[in-house]
Amino acid sequence: MYGSASTHDLPTTAVTGLENEDPILLAEFEARIARGEKIEPGDWMPALYRKQLTRMIEQHAHSEIIGSLPEGTWITRAPGFRRKMAQMAKVQDEVGHAQLLYSAAETLGKTREQMLTDLINGKSKYSNVFNYPTPTWADSNVISWLIDAGAIVNQLANAKGSYGPYCRALDRICAEEAFHLKYGHDAVVHMATGTPIQREMMQAALNRWWPAIMTFFGPSDKMSVHTEILMRWKVKMASNDECRNQFLDMYVPKIWEIGLTLPDANLRKNEETGQWEFTEPDWEDFKRVINGDGPCNAERIAVRRAAEENGAWVRRALLTPKTQYVRPLA
Amino acid sequence: MIQSHDPRMNRLGLPDAPAPAVAKEALDQFGTYEVFHQKKEGAPFVYVGPVHAPEADVAFLFAKEQFSRRFACTGLWVVPTAAITLTDYVGDTESAYDTLPLLAKSSAAPAPDSRYTDDTAGEEAAYAAGEEDYDIFHLKKRGKAHQHVGKVRASSPADALQVAKAVFGEQRPVVNVWAARSADILRSDDEDRDIWTTTPEKKYRDAISYKVQDRIEKFKAENQ
Ligand SMILES: [Fe+2]
Ligand SMILES: [Fe+2]
Ligand SMILES: [Fe+2]
Repeated sequence: MYGSASTHDLPTTAVTGLENEDPILLAEFEARIARGEKIEPGDWMPALYRKQLTRMIEQHAHSEIIGSLPEGTWITRAPGFRRKMAQMAKVQDEVGHAQLLYSAAETLGKTREQMLTDLINGKSKYSNVFNYPTPTWADSNVISWLIDAGAIVNQLANAKGSYGPYCRALDRICAEEAFHLKYGHDAVVHMATGTPIQREMMQAALNRWWPAIMTFFGPSDKMSVHTEILMRWKVKMASNDECRNQFLDMYVPKIWEIGLTLPDANLRKNEETGQWEFTEPDWEDFKRVINGDGPCNAERIAVRRAAEENGAWVRRALLTPKTQYVRPLA
Repeated sequence: MIQSHDPRMNRLGLPDAPAPAVAKEALDQFGTYEVFHQKKEGAPFVYVGPVHAPEADVAFLFAKEQFSRRFACTGLWVVPTAAITLTDYVGDTESAYDTLPLLAKSSAAPAPDSRYTDDTAGEEAAYAAGEEDYDIFHLKKRGKAHQHVGKVRASSPADALQVAKAVFGEQRPVVNVWAARSADILRSDDEDRDIWTTTPEKKYRDAISYKVQDRIEKFKAENQ
């Protein structure tokens, strides 16, 4: 889930350093992308392309691994054996996605040790929605369905990007997401069409999550920094607002059809423009949370760090004198 | 102490205060292996991605978990990344074999050569002289995956690419070629093939086993 091309902190000087690139190599690189060919790890690429992609794929990987925590919270208390098995399978998939994505990022030169070091020291970003808690089973269901749905919108767009290893990882991830989406939808529908208490619990969870969901695709395009070059290089494949609008178009009707409401009186589709209208999310609050001051930031990092530290002796014991790290090939 | 909704997290007794910065050591995340899988029996092995592991057996285990967990798989190969020799990448309409250094006449293998024929005596002599088998993989299009095309016998990885050019060089396009010494590949055993029949009892991982539409229709009918 959660590839957000809106990496939330694109450089304000998006073209910095380009003047130092070899103009002939740069022209060949851009021509290859314009022809629709993918870039592979052995190719020459501008430093900015490498940097942006590394950051984006790394953040996506972190989002998978941190994103597995709020749903993982409910594995032990999932209602019924079948749901427990399914919840576990989904969480395992998400951790597998992180593995695929870390490897794709590594082909660009940053080691997995460096990426995990940055994550557990709080230096890296991940999707901000996971800084919120899942106080009930219904909250977990909202993530399974709607956060995954949002992630799929992003991931399908990014799978058409220009970097071969990222595309390969995303193709595999998207294939697995089909189950997540159906599982999540099923879980939400089950609650929403169940007893009055179940229904109430689901509505309350949706109310809690909606503001975060509205920020999932990142700040509005009108506030975003210059990303033209990242679009041209097919690093960023769709604007934040395009993704958000597509998501609303696909899922708001599905939410409404099961009798749930959304906590935004201004939410409606403008049939003339085809665009959804809504109350502008609180971007100041978004900034505050993503910079560390959310309800779960400390817990997420601490839990991840504890897992890394508690497992370190096992990993050390498994090493052999022949273990050799080489940057993955593709 | 950090208070979580997850009782397992609470049992960890995590401190509130951010811990001092730490840096992971080299090899904390092990070494790297490249993984190929077979979708169904008889199909060629196709590259699926890397895994990190301390040694080949563990790499196989991780690869099985990562790449055969959700979709049909009838075989896996894992190769240490370091054991793969590759050509440059070329454009989607070209051949990577064209980027190999041209061999001087004298060192070029004179054809017909036992490497391309069924000359058993010549073959034995070649192995005795230190030649080995290499598996060859082609990438046909950028963004797609390398696929196994066959084996060659050669005296070194560089030689393997040259022999592969003689044997498979007519194929086009070939964006990139990988050669791996066959002895370096850990392969699933045909006798163990029942390890791959894990999916039928796990229907809860299939999108089609969720009949959500029926429930929605029923709800709508009851709430008209
Ligand atoms: Fe995922
Ligand atoms: Fe997912
Ligand atoms: Fe997800």
